Order: sequence, then structure tokens, then C-alpha cells
Amino acid sequence: MNASSVAIPHDHDHDHNGGHDDHHGHITLQYQPGLPLSRGKLIMWLFLSTEIMFFAALLGSYIVLRFGAPVWPKPHHVHLSEPIGAFNTFVLICSSVTIVLALEAARVNKAGLAKFWMLLTLLLGTLFLGVKGYEYSSKFSHGIYPWAPRGHIYERPDLYYGSAVRARLGEPEMIDKLKELDDTEDAYLSNEQIRGRIRLKKVREMVASPDQQPFDLAVVADQIAPLPAEGASHGGSHGHGGGLNDTFPWLKLPMVIPGGNMWASTYFLLTGFHAIHVAVGLLVFAIMLSWKLNAKRAGAIENAGLYWHFVDLVWIFLFPLMYLF
Amino acid sequence: MSDHGPITRPGDLPDHDDSHGEHDAHDHGHGGIGKYLAVFVALCFLTTMSFLTYSSLWPWRDEPQVGWAFMMAVSCTKAMLVVLFFMHVLWEANWKYVLTIPAAMMAIFLCIMLVPDIGMRNRMVSQERALHMARESDVKLLERAAEAAMLEGMPAH
Repeated sequence: MNASSVAIPHDHDHDHNGGHDDHHGHITLQYQPGLPLSRGKLIMWLFLSTEIMFFAALLGSYIVLRFGAPVWPKPHHVHLSEPIGAFNTFVLICSSVTIVLALEAARVNKAGLAKFWMLLTLLLGTLFLGVKGYEYSSKFSHGIYPWAPRGHIYERPDLYYGSAVRARLGEPEMIDKLKELDDTEDAYLSNEQIRGRIRLKKVREMVASPDQQPFDLAVVADQIAPLPAEGASHGGSHGHGGGLNDTFPWLKLPMVIPGGNMWASTYFLLTGFHAIHVAVGLLVFAIMLSWKLNAKRAGAIENAGLYWHFVDLVWIFLFPLMYLF
Repeated sequence: MSDHGPITRPGDLPDHDDSHGEHDAHDHGHGGIGKYLAVFVALCFLTTMSFLTYSSLWPWRDEPQVGWAFMMAVSCTKAMLVVLFFMHVLWEANWKYVLTIPAAMMAIFLCIMLVPDIGMRNRMVSQERALHMARESDVKLLERAAEAAMLEGMPAH
């Protein structure tokens, strides 16, 4: 590439022009790029260097926020499952391999094989997003949302928390529903709901009591949404399904996760931006699948692959920081 | 004038149009499927290594910082493998340093600059914030409440 784009003087093989023309017109003019790579790849790398800084800012703020925080929730406190995260890591690593194999196939002009690998990459990326969606929905079902008005996470079981629980129980629609629950005969309720009703009654008494102790409010918080014990984030005995919010999903009572608000903000921001990047990559692959992926397209596949590897790279750091720390 | 060479327009790289396959084979002939698969196996192995900190074999269970440092080292190794082999940076010319080193330095500076204002934000806090801030004691309190409920047989499980 370099040799062909350098201006080459032709001094010796054009003698027939005579002496008068020796100093002009014997130069082969060719475009010489500033860097020895195609424009597409150069632009992709420039874009990736801005992306490095974008994700470094996000990851950096997460690390700094996390280690500067007095309390940070343990992964099991916020229903994070390490095996699911590890599975998603594996899926992304596989998709990185398949896109690199698509590029290799395209370079040797095996368009069909290249298409197969790219389709596989697309499927793996979609699987990643599907698992991510499942994870998000399990957070939502436990009342953890990325936006404030829907979120009802309190930092500590203090008086403000107690009054928030009281306020929620005092909402007109709540009063109706609680009365309905109290009037329901035991025969129409499951054992869990019968026990839940007794616990709910006790919680209502405790928050209404004028002389609450901090420990009482901790008991209230534990009854509403207990912090899951380690190893109980999926189907464990304590935690999953143990709180009143799980027994009666319409309750939606405020709950206590120390450090939970900052955790939710950073978790959804980081994984959300990463998921957007994955989705953009999938869109690019979907468009490319309509092409004939022969050697002419190798440059484009390489650029899409560079982007995809970068997305994988971000997840390589996100996974331990989010799930294992 | 007829013996002028072809004048290419700035937009068209001479070797960008039809000789792409040739050029790439010449330029990037360093990959190879065997190498990619070896990197893949290494990446999978390293991912399981991150879980080593969770196993009973891990000797520093009381010092989480050791585990964190280990996991970051594993992540950096994985990142290097992806960048060097999958992104072909190992076989690129020296321009790679121009793009990656300044970006990496900016990224590190950016994180360091966040430390005084954000990382140390709880060294000096207003009374208002101190009142509402979660503390380690809150987690202990919740755990004690859970134990008490367990003893009383109050929860539904």
C-alpha cells in the first residue's frame, strides 16, 4: 500500500521526450494518505478512541462513586445473579470469535460462510440482549427502577422511611384494598397470603405506633422487602418471595436497600449504554447480512467487527465491576 | 502528457477498490483461525478464573481488595487479548500508539480527576446529608431484624 501511493519519479525510461522536458511531467502523482490505513478504518478507530473516553468516564465514575460510598449493596441484595452475568460474558466472547471468523471467510471470498458467521454473531448479540432484558425485568419486579418517581428505595430504616410507609398505606386506593384484604375469607387466600395478612397487620401497627425504635423500622423494612441473603438471589428460601411486596404485588410499599439508589442509577446507566451499543451493532449486522459478503466487503466487515470487539471489551470490564465486586 | 501515471482523486485509495482481498491477505496474514480459537479458549479460561475469588480455595476471603485487584488483572488480560488479536492491533503499524495511548491516558486522568470531588464526597458532609445517608450500621440493623424474624417464625417461608 505504501509503495503504490508514494510519488515515484520516472527519470530513466522516458528519454524519448528529449532534454527540454526533463523536469516536468515525469512524476506519477498519486494520493498518499496520512496514515497507512483505509479511510473507513481510520474513522472507525477515531470513533473508537472517543468511545474509549466515553466508557472510561462512565466506568470511572462508577468506580469512584462505588468506592466513595459509605455502603454499597452486595450483588445478592439487588437480585444480581453472577451465573447469568457470566453466561452473558461467554455469549459476547463467542460473538467476538464469530465476527472475526466472518471477516476471515470474507477475505478469502467465501461469501456464504461469511454470511453464516455474521448471522451467528447477530443471534448471539440478540441472545445477550434477551438475557439483559430478563435481568432488567427481574429488577423491575423487585421494585428497582432506573428512574426516581417509580423507585421507592430508601437508604436507611429511619423515621422518614416509616412515614413513607405510613403515607403509602394511607393512600385512598390502598385503604380500600387493605379493607378488601381484611374482609376476604381465609378460604379464598393461599397459606402464604394468610400469613402475609397477619404480618401486614403487624407492620401497620408498627408504623402507626407513636414510639418507634430504629429496630422496629428495621423489622418493618425486613417484612416488606428483606435483603436477600447470600446465594439466595434466585429461588433461595429467604429473600425471593419472602417480603410482603412479593406476597401482595399491589402493595408497592417503600423498601430499604442501603446504597440502593446510587447502585440502581449506575447499574442502569452503564448496562443501558452498553445495551444501546449492542443494539446498534446488531442493526449494522442486520444491514450487512443483506449484502454479498465477499472480499470487496472485507473492509466494511472489519470496521463493524472492530466496533463489536469494543462492545465486548466494555462488557469484559462491566461484568466483574457490576456482578463480582 | 500521455506518460503521466494515473492521477487518483483524494477519495480513492489506489488499493481500496478492487484489489482489496489481495491487499488484506498481504497486510493481515497474521491471524489464522487456530490463533483465534486459542484466544477464545484463553478468554473462557480467564472468565472462569474471575470466579476463583468466590471459591473456598481463595485464601484472601477476608480481604476483598485482593480479589478486586485479581479480577481487574484478569479483565485487563482479557481486554489485551481482544485488542491485540481480534482487533488485529498486534499487527498494525505504529499509528496504533497515536490513537490508543492518548485516549487511554485521558481516560485514566479523567478517573483520577473524579476522586477528590466524588470519591471523597463523604469525608465532609452536611448534617442534612449525614442524616439520610446509609451506613454500614443500617445493613447490620436489617440483618438483625431478619434474624429476629427468623427466630419468631414471622416470615412466610
